[in-house]
Amino acid sequence: MVKIQCAILSFFVSIVCAAALSLVYAFTEPIITEAEKNSIIENLKEVMNAQQFKEIIPDSLWQALDSLNNIVGIVFQVHPQGFGGLIPVTVGLDSDAKITSIKISKEGLKETPGLGARVADLDFTKQFIGKHAAILKLKTDGGDIDAVTGATISSRAVCNGIKKGIKQYSKYIESKDNKKQLFFNAQNFVEIIKDTLWYALSGRDTLGVIFIGITFGYLDSIKFMVGMDRKSKIIGINILYSKETDGIGERIRDKEFLDKFKEGIPDAITGATISSTALINAVKRNIERFKKFLK
Amino acid sequence: MKNLALIFWSAFLVNNIILIRLIGLCPCFGITNTIETSAYMGITTTIVMIISTWLTWIIFHGILFPLNLVYLRTASFILLIIIIVQLLEMLLKRLYRKLYNTLGIYLTLFTANCAILAVTFLITESNFDILQATIFAIGTGAGFAMVIIIFATLRERLEFAPVSPTLKGYPIAFLATSLIALAFLGFYGLFGIM
Amino acid sequence: MSKWLISAKRIIIENPVIVMMIGLCPALAVTNTVRSSLGIGIATSFVLILANTILSLTKKIMPDKIRIHISIIIIATVVTIVDYFMQAFYPDLRQTLGIFVPLIVVNCIILSRVEAFTIRNSVVDVVLDGLAAGIGFTLMLAVIGAIREILGHGTFLGNPIFGGDFKRFPITFMILPPGAFLAVGILMGLFNKYIKKPK
Repeated sequence: MVKIQCAILSFFVSIVCAAALSLVYAFTEPIITEAEKNSIIENLKEVMNAQQFKEIIPDSLWQALDSLNNIVGIVFQVHPQGFGGLIPVTVGLDSDAKITSIKISKEGLKETPGLGARVADLDFTKQFIGKHAAILKLKTDGGDIDAVTGATISSRAVCNGIKKGIKQYSKYIESKDNKKQLFFNAQNFVEIIKDTLWYALSGRDTLGVIFIGITFGYLDSIKFMVGMDRKSKIIGINILYSKETDGIGERIRDKEFLDKFKEGIPDAITGATISSTALINAVKRNIERFKKFLK
Repeated sequence: MKNLALIFWSAFLVNNIILIRLIGLCPCFGITNTIETSAYMGITTTIVMIISTWLTWIIFHGILFPLNLVYLRTASFILLIIIIVQLLEMLLKRLYRKLYNTLGIYLTLFTANCAILAVTFLITESNFDILQATIFAIGTGAGFAMVIIIFATLRERLEFAPVSPTLKGYPIAFLATSLIALAFLGFYGLFGIM
Repeated sequence: MSKWLISAKRIIIENPVIVMMIGLCPALAVTNTVRSSLGIGIATSFVLILANTILSLTKKIMPDKIRIHISIIIIATVVTIVDYFMQAFYPDLRQTLGIFVPLIVVNCIILSRVEAFTIRNSVVDVVLDGLAAGIGFTLMLAVIGAIREILGHGTFLGNPIFGGDFKRFPITFMILPPGAFLAVGILMGLFNKYIKKPK
């Protein structure tokens, strides 16, 4: 008799406990998922100052949007293999493919505390701000980044992981906003030739045209976007894609060089003749080609 | 295959449950007085770990996870382990009386053994399949057994060592263990396991 | 009055961790910062007090045969409740503590207290006892955590206490497992010398 009583009692207790737990779960679960979502957004906000974020690839890629829904950049997450495990790195990239900021979360980090774990410290991560993928290397590998003392493997892993991420995701930055950069007061852009030519309009006035051109530089193709006003004068030029030699061909991205286009066709960059000449010639060709659209 | 070997070495040495994860210390310091005792403890722990792993894995992937009852994990696992231990005790008593007399006492201690429950939790969190889980349990059990045997040897030696009265007993045992743990840290990076 | 004296005695002289070697499991693994130590200590105290109360209230209707099993079910339930509340309101802390929160269920302190004390005494006694044991436990963990964090990170509760230049000072050894053993060993030695009555 006692055995059955025991069994019933145990059963009863189990049911009561399970019921209590399911209540607690039902109560806390929405809070937990909400907190998770918020922490993701907090995480994104820490690397890029934007109004809202749109998830493109779950857990990997977000587009950063401003209040007018223009894309101001992207945020992506990479998990390079470090010394103790995968290192979660969140990277913000602005529309120039320059890093706005990076963040390595301390919680998920399995690196050696005090050594590899110091890649999460501000002193290391702040070095990445404003850098381009092209120069993202440790000082010992010929680049600009100071590795964490005694944690070269972790530091190198972070660099390479970010570089790979930029290479993989930077194509998502190309957007209308690049056009906005050239024509500030344009209200909309009308596509004339697919992915190549747009009119920049404000109300009923045509402010000018924007075109995208591709040419081949020294190492790889160069993709650029040019804004031209109604007088066929270049008001701005952006390099959308280039993978020339660091410090040499990549100098076609220098603001000083690109600004020269506003005063006419510049001379080639000394020491980077092939890359810059390719760009200059392509720009000239395209101006000729699209001039007629301005009439 | 390589994956399984890595899991074993990781559980056995690199992420040793006692010296690196610091789980399973309760029985470690309380019981290990002679090498023989420790060896028996180690063997029985490994067996219980393996059986618990199988049953909890089945319960988790078969019932809890599909039915969205993950919150019942803690309660159901510990209950399962207690039941397994009691069944084993009863089985041993009936079938191998002699064996029961030597090993039986340890079985009751497993209900409060952090290590066995920890193994089951770690397996669900690492998302192992049943084969990987088994290897993980074997590796962890082996690591556990090895460390408590080392520990028993240590304590037998310390009995006769000239230790100041302040440090005699547990303190010196802990300090010595800290050195062993330091040695185990050297396994970091073995076979590429971190 | 005597009740408070008994509790005070329990916190210091009979401090569970050091004197009676109980509840060590979490004591070493999560004490690398003061914050984690306090987290585990407070969580365990909660579980201790809650579970003790429930078990004390229901001790009359529990047959001896399955008392342990029911105790464990109830403790596990309380642990899961504390676990999920932590996940909801303190997700960062819960993430740092990892699997050691669910492992509170096998924390030797709780089980031994239940067996020795809870089922024989009134609810009030039991709550006080749980409180005392919990405070003692948390205190000891916090001390170990402080030693490890100050020596290993150079910070206390995340705030650097040696100034920005002391980056090379911290003894990384203390944050790693061997440091835990060392801290406890030294603490126990000090305890033996100054607090325990000589035999």
